[in-house]
Amino acid sequence: MKKVWIIFLIAGGIATLTRCNKADVFPDDGYDSRLSGGAATVFDATSKAFTHPISGMSARNLQFHELGDAQFEQTFVSAPAPVNSGLGPVFNNVSCISCHHNDGKGTPTAGFNNSSLLIRLSLPGKDANNGPLPIPGFGSQLQDKSVFSSMPEAQVNISYTDVPVTYPDGTVVTLRKPSYQLVNPYIPLPATYELSPRMAPPVFGVGLLQAIPESTILSFADPDDLNGDGISGRPNYVYNDVTKTTDLGRFGLKANVDDLAHQVAFAFQQDMGVTNYIEPQESTEGQLQYDKLSDDPELPDSIINSVIFYVKSLAVPARRNVTDPDVKAGEQLFAQISCAKCHIPTIQTGVDLSLPQISNQRIHPYTDLLLHDMGEGLGDGRPDFLATGTEWRTMPLWGIGLFPKTNGTPFYLHDGRARTIEEAILWHGGEAENAKQQYMNLNKTDRDKILKFLNSL
Amino acid sequence: MIQNQLKNRFAKIIIVAILFAGCHKADTSTPDTFPTTEQTVLNDFADNIAVPQYADLQAAALDLNTKITALNTDATDANIEAARTSWKSLRTVWEQCEGFLFGPVEDNEYDPQMDTWPTDANQFDSLLNSSNALELSDIENLPYSLRGFHPIEYLIFGEDANKSAAELTDRQKQYMMSASADVVNICNSLYSSWTEGSTTFSQQLKTAGNGSTVYETKQEAFNAIVGAMQGICEEVGDGKMKEPYEAQNPNIVESPYSNNSTTDFKNNIIGLQTVYLGKNGSTGITNLVSERNKSLDTKIRSQIAAAISSFDNITIPFEEAIINQRTQVQQTMTALNSLNETIEEELMPFIIQYVQD
Repeated sequence: MKKVWIIFLIAGGIATLTRCNKADVFPDDGYDSRLSGGAATVFDATSKAFTHPISGMSARNLQFHELGDAQFEQTFVSAPAPVNSGLGPVFNNVSCISCHHNDGKGTPTAGFNNSSLLIRLSLPGKDANNGPLPIPGFGSQLQDKSVFSSMPEAQVNISYTDVPVTYPDGTVVTLRKPSYQLVNPYIPLPATYELSPRMAPPVFGVGLLQAIPESTILSFADPDDLNGDGISGRPNYVYNDVTKTTDLGRFGLKANVDDLAHQVAFAFQQDMGVTNYIEPQESTEGQLQYDKLSDDPELPDSIINSVIFYVKSLAVPARRNVTDPDVKAGEQLFAQISCAKCHIPTIQTGVDLSLPQISNQRIHPYTDLLLHDMGEGLGDGRPDFLATGTEWRTMPLWGIGLFPKTNGTPFYLHDGRARTIEEAILWHGGEAENAKQQYMNLNKTDRDKILKFLNSL
Repeated sequence: MIQNQLKNRFAKIIIVAILFAGCHKADTSTPDTFPTTEQTVLNDFADNIAVPQYADLQAAALDLNTKITALNTDATDANIEAARTSWKSLRTVWEQCEGFLFGPVEDNEYDPQMDTWPTDANQFDSLLNSSNALELSDIENLPYSLRGFHPIEYLIFGEDANKSAAELTDRQKQYMMSASADVVNICNSLYSSWTEGSTTFSQQLKTAGNGSTVYETKQEAFNAIVGAMQGICEEVGDGKMKEPYEAQNPNIVESPYSNNSTTDFKNNIIGLQTVYLGKNGSTGITNLVSERNKSLDTKIRSQIAAAISSFDNITIPFEEAIINQRTQVQQTMTALNSLNETIEEELMPFIIQYVQD
């Protein structure tokens, strides 16, 4: 009698607990698909979703992160000043946060206080290290603001023309095609030059991207399209002026920067005019508006190091609605129509001895970090190391569904021309033309499922 | 024996009953007031805290503009003193509004437009020494580091908070007139963003989880409110106070010309307290917390109160306190850190656990 009772109790207990757990919530592979950044994931879907440190860091690392966090928001002022000295003489904006709004994207305007778009410039041809050829007097980035004693190198006029796109089912979506004119240059611009608009990308999750082994990225590459799927995927190799080596590029919108330290150092030096130990020369050196001050590097080493660590240790926001049937169906369709061939869903990171939380993580960045020909519509006509004038690095899609939250008004693609995810998809061309056509041929219900899936990222 | 068996059977039935009840929240059998409280707290936050405080901000900005206009017309020491008093009152309202830095104030950059720090002193001087126009439209086109509270602070307080009206130059007067008109416009826009148009931010917040395009769930809205509480707590304790304290550098305090920094900090935390407790008898986050976790509520209330009162131990201007009252400054930072930790490690998880709609 007693035994029967015990068996009954155990069976009842199991049944009850099973009922509570809802087994179907968890995917068959045993991984929680919400964890876009593995252990470096944070659960926050508000405007602050991109701004959180990876959890579980040591007290020392957390303090270092917080120092960088504070610096990321600091406004720089013209030199000499007791604090945050070194802005300009020419610059694009005054703080990291003013372009990377909430550690995200920002606004596709140039020259305003809240602008997040800048223009890269070069002469046709290549420099000695296979990089873009700077324009004398301008360098390879246009600074469209200046301190009082100097002049902006030029101003950027952005205008848009409507481009209607019609789906096979008759639905019409109007895209806006940007055009960029440089006006009021402080000295004459050359007759021919190449121009590339770049919008500040989100800065979270970059530690994880840095921790992806080079061999993994190269394993996605298919430069000669040997598998004949119409998608190449080429690594960019870029010159590092500190180590004097040519390395795999993985940051920047054309994979034109090899590591985070460099990315941050360039941003301080080029975007704000703040020199640092990695890039100690003023962006204006050798130009008419060089400040000739002997204050370089203007940024204390500890500060730039903390900012580098800050972006490296920013967590990735978790996905939402992963068990929604439409979202699941959208995820399948996303793979089915070949989006996932470049926007690789799952990658394993390698080991970063300084930060175990980003090591050996199963992450979902939806990028291969490789260059792809995106067609003339998106092309900038400005090669950047091995990247051609129509190639761009696959944009990571994690967090993309949160842009409306983090940004107020969301903008997508390298220059923010797309106002919705749908517009961004419709701009895809070149190697992605086929996938886009397949998307356009889906019925509205299925297209909406894909969008719903992307909004869950 | 029979009695024992009965007892046994009774016990077993109870155990089975408990097992089956395990999945259900026992309290759902009686009406749960929690979701109603959630809605009330959101409504009260918008209607009784944010909107009235932004209205106060508007009024305070207008008052400063009036006082500065009077000073411009008649540069007497009484008028400059009145402008200073008004500037400090405006700061009081603003710093309390910083207890909820989310929504339009952030998305539309109203905060950096009027409260960027530090002021770019070189460019400020260059501009004043130039002959460039200083009309309102000119000020509006300046970098944030030359707009808002702190350039005005410098103009009416001077380097050592004792500027006389006679020292004001014509260019300085023009600058303070345009800069304070600029602040009025920014505060008006901020207020309008919560109250005017087809979808006001106030409406977005109150319809969280119920049609809001900003907050799909109530949990998201509460995350934003509590996240902002945590944000200001961290900014004061880990940033505004700690950086000058650690560097022992009076040049990097927030409001250096007016010696108003400690008051600024205290008002930030009073702003946080208002969000937590509610205002003028309205509900606040406290009403939610106390329904589910009384001890957490008591802890947060007492930590907020302790942090606020600890500011009173700093009796000299913050610029000097970081040198000469380091113990007191440290104690306040410690109090803020404890509060920050409680918000981050207990209040935020509380929201995630209990606000399920």
